[in-house]
Amino acid sequence: MSSKTAKPVLRSAAWRISLWATLAFACGTMLVFVGLHRFVADDIQRRSDAWLSGEVEVLGDVAERTPKDALYGRVVSEVAELAGKEVPNKLLSETSSNDSVFFLQTGEHGELKLWVGAGNGVPDLKAIQATKIVPDHPTDVHVEGFGVPFRVASLRVDDGSYIYLGLSERDELRVLRSLRLRFILLWLLLVLLGFGIVFFTTRRMLSHVREISEAASRIGHSDLGARVPTTDRNDEVGHLALTLNRMLDRIESTIHQLHTITDALAHDLRSPLTAIRGQLEMSLSAAMDGEQAEPIVSAIEELDRLTDFLNKSLDVAEAKADALRLNRSDVDLDELLRVMIDLYEPSMTEKGLMVTLRSGGPLRISADAALVHRMIANLFDNELKHLPLSCRVNILLEARDGAAVLILEDNGPGFDPDVMLHLFERRVKGRDSNGHGLGLAFIDAVVRAHGGTVMACNRDGGGARITVMLPAASTQAMGLN
Amino acid sequence: MRLLLVEDEIDIQSFLRSSLEEAGYQVEAASDGKAAERLAVDGQFDILIVDLGLPDQDGITLILRLRQLGVRAPVLILSARRSVDDRVRGLEQGGDDYLTKPFALAELLARLRNLLKRNSPAGTEATRLRVLDLELDLLRREASRAGQVLQLTPQEFVLLEYLCRNAGRVVTRSMILDQVWGMRIQPDTNVVDVHIYRLRGKVDGKGQQPLIRTLRGVGYVLKDR
Repeated sequence: MSSKTAKPVLRSAAWRISLWATLAFACGTMLVFVGLHRFVADDIQRRSDAWLSGEVEVLGDVAERTPKDALYGRVVSEVAELAGKEVPNKLLSETSSNDSVFFLQTGEHGELKLWVGAGNGVPDLKAIQATKIVPDHPTDVHVEGFGVPFRVASLRVDDGSYIYLGLSERDELRVLRSLRLRFILLWLLLVLLGFGIVFFTTRRMLSHVREISEAASRIGHSDLGARVPTTDRNDEVGHLALTLNRMLDRIESTIHQLHTITDALAHDLRSPLTAIRGQLEMSLSAAMDGEQAEPIVSAIEELDRLTDFLNKSLDVAEAKADALRLNRSDVDLDELLRVMIDLYEPSMTEKGLMVTLRSGGPLRISADAALVHRMIANLFDNELKHLPLSCRVNILLEARDGAAVLILEDNGPGFDPDVMLHLFERRVKGRDSNGHGLGLAFIDAVVRAHGGTVMACNRDGGGARITVMLPAASTQAMGLN
Repeated sequence: MRLLLVEDEIDIQSFLRSSLEEAGYQVEAASDGKAAERLAVDGQFDILIVDLGLPDQDGITLILRLRQLGVRAPVLILSARRSVDDRVRGLEQGGDDYLTKPFALAELLARLRNLLKRNSPAGTEATRLRVLDLELDLLRREASRAGQVLQLTPQEFVLLEYLCRNAGRVVTRSMILDQVWGMRIQPDTNVVDVHIYRLRGKVDGKGQQPLIRTLRGVGYVLKDR
């Protein structure tokens, strides 16, 4: 099941449609998220920057107003520490000391004057001095020993010193990371769900289309009275089925008309032919043998030829319109060919023709026995009529890919190149032919009516080759695969 | 033998009537279904010939109606139609026969004989056939003429047997093809003639009375007189 049906599923239109739809959906949602993420990140940054700017101003104010006595350091540190506890986006720190905020004041010559925060502040100062920090404009500073950068705001105090307030971006990044994680999970879920929904709905819809096309191909090969399944739904698929059925109605009525016409034609011609033939036979039995009988005899022979021509013409006409009515039964081509060779062998020997059959044993096909008999008789007649003395006819019968292949080869003059292209059309015959030019058209008609093909060509070494391919089972059964 | 001929075409009806009478049948003719029904129920017929295209009703409908009315005689259906109706096939399986127009008289007569033979109680099948000095041993598949064994192929024996069974009667090429080779075909070439020619070469030796006669335009006959 898996390996055999996997490929068709991967090749089905439903699969492709769902794949493309899902891809478009995934890309779209991803783009929307990227925009959203950017907006959120900017907003968080803006908030922390606003806090930093505000706090650094407060601290600057405090630093300016506090008298530069022994308590100066303690006062400023206290204020800075208090400020550090009101950090926005704050998550619980893993360590007891507050490592997400630092306060730093430098002296006039850039030396570390005051430090509030985790550690001794030396790497922070180094990092700050390495980064160009514009006052009133928070900047990212990468401090050695910290994975995440600090956002640092600075302010110049009137006494010439600088104060710096740093806020770790750790919390901010953590918020964004959790946002991304949640989105990705949700996005994957949505994409999978979307794919599933699209795949199953298109598959359901397309399965109706497949049912219709299967039914239509069955109808094309066998029963014109059947119709494709229709649904109550008023969508495109429903319309397709209705349109197909309307088309089939028209085709069926056209074919029916064709049958009526050919039947009427056959009937109207056959009745007088019957009367004429009967009267000719009666006058023949009354006539003496010899000269009197001769014209009657040839009239009867002409009449029989005319009847045969009429039958073949109507068969060819119907077959060209795919309207030949078949009465299928089991036909063993191997046996049929042997009987046919037995029948034709004396005539062939008479003309010095050698006929050989190579066959892989019994080969049964489902076909209209009467038509196949006439078709093969036509093939033999063709060889018998057109081959010059002492030629060879090789007949090969074999089963190939569920079809019976019949090849007739001879070493005669081959087909007339002038008629080569129109060999299977009505009324086409070679220059020296005395037939009515229906033989090959009839063969083609019968083979096509059975869902097979017939090819004719001249062999490289001279001579003609006719290849007839007939499906072993009826095409109705083949169509279901 | 009483025969009911149901055929609306006057030309066909008249020539059939005269040839059938010549062949020894007592012929009653009807031109439409109603008349046929009346005649068939009243008179005791041994066999019926019914054309499918009647002016007032379909031939098959008529046959089915006659069967309902208790007419048991076998029917030879004549049709000018191209395709064989499924219902005709049904009748064919039921023991009736079917012939397409136009046909050879010999074939019509042969089919009538077959229908009558089928309907009569089966006699013991002969194991030997004898026509003048020609003798066929059906068990040993051997033929001899004037005591001389003929060297025949199996196919030639079947052909000769068919001619012997119809000795004195005309058989057409299509009858031979149908009965000996089991094919209803119309070859454009003289395949049957060549078979007959070969058979004649073996059966009618030098100085012997020719038995196999060709009736041009009609067929062949094995002389029994």
